[in-house]
Amino acid sequence: MLELRLVQGSLLKKVLEAIKDLVNDANFDCSATGFSLQAMDSSHVALVALLLRSEGFEHYRCDRNLSMGMNLGNMAKMLKCAGNDDIITLKADDGSDTVTFMFESPTQDKISDFEMKLMDIDSEHLGIPEAEYHAIVRMPSSEFGRICKDLSSIGDTVVISVTKEGVKFSTRGDIGTANIVCRQNNTVDKPEEATIIEMTEPVSLTFALRYMNSFTKATPLSSIVTLSLSSDLPVVVEYKIAEMGYIRFYLAPKIEEDEDETKPQV
Amino acid sequence: MAQIETLGILEEIEPLVSDKLQVVSYKWLSRNYLVSSNTAKRLLQEFVDKHRSGLEVVYTLSGWLKGDHRNYHIRLVSSPKLAEAKQEFDGNCSVQVYSVQSCIPKDPAALWNSEFVQAEELFKQHFTIDNCLRDNRFCGISNSFVQRNVEGTPGMIANPLPKTAGGIGQSKSSSVSQNSTVPQPQHYKVQQSSQKVGLQSPNVVKDTESEITGTGVHGQNTKPPADKEKVPPLPAGKKKVQNGKSTSDTGGSLANFWGRASAKSKPSVPPENTDVIANPTANAEAQICAREALDGGSSDDDGEKINFKRASNGEGSRKRRVVFDLSDEDEYEDAVNLASPDIPKGQSSLDQKQSTKLLVSEKSKLNSEKEIENKSKVKEEMVTDKESNLPLREDSSVISKGANAGTSSPEKVQICIPESELNKEDKATLAAPNSPKKRKVLKTRIDERGREVTEVIWDGEEAEAKKADSSKTKKSDSSTVGNTVNRPPAAKKSPAIGNTVPSNPTGKAGNKKAGSSKDPKQGNILSFFKRV
Repeated sequence: MLELRLVQGSLLKKVLEAIKDLVNDANFDCSATGFSLQAMDSSHVALVALLLRSEGFEHYRCDRNLSMGMNLGNMAKMLKCAGNDDIITLKADDGSDTVTFMFESPTQDKISDFEMKLMDIDSEHLGIPEAEYHAIVRMPSSEFGRICKDLSSIGDTVVISVTKEGVKFSTRGDIGTANIVCRQNNTVDKPEEATIIEMTEPVSLTFALRYMNSFTKATPLSSIVTLSLSSDLPVVVEYKIAEMGYIRFYLAPKIEEDEDETKPQV
Repeated sequence: MAQIETLGILEEIEPLVSDKLQVVSYKWLSRNYLVSSNTAKRLLQEFVDKHRSGLEVVYTLSGWLKGDHRNYHIRLVSSPKLAEAKQEFDGNCSVQVYSVQSCIPKDPAALWNSEFVQAEELFKQHFTIDNCLRDNRFCGISNSFVQRNVEGTPGMIANPLPKTAGGIGQSKSSSVSQNSTVPQPQHYKVQQSSQKVGLQSPNVVKDTESEITGTGVHGQNTKPPADKEKVPPLPAGKKKVQNGKSTSDTGGSLANFWGRASAKSKPSVPPENTDVIANPTANAEAQICAREALDGGSSDDDGEKINFKRASNGEGSRKRRVVFDLSDEDEYEDAVNLASPDIPKGQSSLDQKQSTKLLVSEKSKLNSEKEIENKSKVKEEMVTDKESNLPLREDSSVISKGANAGTSSPEKVQICIPESELNKEDKATLAAPNSPKKRKVLKTRIDERGREVTEVIWDGEEAEAKKADSSKTKKSDSSTVGNTVNRPPAAKKSPAIGNTVPSNPTGKAGNKKAGSSKDPKQGNILSFFKRV
């Protein structure tokens, strides 16, 4: 028996919007600690890890660990039927092959039940080792989203270079090149507007903008995004979900064989 | 002449196979070098004998199967499995080289790919150009109601049986396609004037006859003119055609046009045969109607049809292309059945049959024999149809899957990635070993919604094509080669497969997409995190 009641239902809606384009089908794993998901995109270039801790739910009941395979597109369709202020409750019975989404309007005068079929998905759970990253950049998520969007209109790949001075996003395309530098800036009034760089050594990595852009769909979840880079590891793009957990995107870098590609001088 | 030419061809096969990694099938060879399919098979056999090592051979086995179901069976087998496959046949089966290639492609469709591309190019050529598919020069499939006659190459218009030629008439045929046509350029002129007169008049007869001989001319002895004609690029040509044709008939339906097909065949056949013909005529018309019904509605289509019809009015023997150009997916497959791009392969051998049949029927009207033959052919057709069509379907399903579902693509991607890692150009050739100029390439990319889209797109490498062109023409003194070389550029302009295949749905096949799709440089997340 599983019953999760999430008062801030819009959160789940946003989560689905953030990952449904990257991953088609995925297993949601429910345990006593929380509601989580890990899935790779179909080309195995990116990985998304979601965690919604049990504490974040108003009511969280999970008798035994449960893995529910869902088509994220279908799930998103159902969640779209929920109002932004609705309370969403997920219910599943043991051994059942369906999951029920219940939406309650804030005034409790409308209650909707949506039952969705589950599916069997071969889960490929990856072990993600804890790692010390060479550089961690915290910046406004909207800014990051804007940068990715802008750059993708010029090129396919972004080179993210972190130095002490700031983080540089550069691209090169048929029409020309673009470089955007965000300087470290923690003197702003609002902490969410700060750009903070923690760096042990300079890093420069190349990524497909396509995926970056896909990640930025999570922007509504958090005003801050954290990019963690190491020269030999996938970048981690993390959006914290207030008081509940996080959604993390891992993206394998492009292997830089020919230096002339889009690699700027660091 | 044949000997000399074939020597040259043999030499050219090797680079195709070893450098371009192309699948050289006898059909392809036949069309590309304008030799009869039997000659092509013989050439391949010679080639195999010479270069035993370092290449893979796919054989065509045809014969009666053992067991309860005595089907006439045609099967493609690779050389290691040849002996084993032979066991399954009852008694003797014919063994012929189907294709040579540097390695057996993973995807069986690749076997057929280059032929298909070639056929498509041929069919896309300018209306006025006769090529071996249009005039069915090499076709030997007999059809009782469509007959070429007089000095014309016996050709066939309806129901070409793809790939049938296999065991049939292997030995007899080659002479026919080469000899039967006496070039009669003056007829050609007659035909042109008759164009203006219109459709259903007796002129048509002349018209078509001369058409046939005209095509024969191209095919056999006067290659240079064919050459010239093939040069004009498509788009410009189309316009011209439409203008030129406006004299011949406006409006009217396709049925007209097909009706005329039969009209044409009638007079050309000796009188005894007329009753035989009458039926099929009706048949043909019925087919048209069916087709029209199929086409149904859309005014665009209609317009197109009319255009094509006009165009073909002037050119008796080219109905088939109409079908082809209208391609809409389903229809397209039909078209393959009907007008099979595979013709040349079967052509010459069947040609032979037809011509002999012609003689026979003229004299003694041995219809029964015909029927028997037809029957067996039909069977073969079924078998071969399977062979030839399956790949197509597979292809398109792959595509549509990729486009729609995305879920199915992972495997495909995995297939693609290693290839692409090799290096891009190699990949292109591997994925689509076909005509040197234009390649069908599997590309995978992530679409806006993050789904994997695997598409087959045309990778026309103009520059390379030109290079190849010029070098080839230099090499080849025989006009035949020049002839064939000139073809692809003309056809290159209209990647019709783009219609059936969602080739560049977003129109950005360019560097941008290609770069990001299956980028060999893109790392894999699995190389960082291990499965638990």
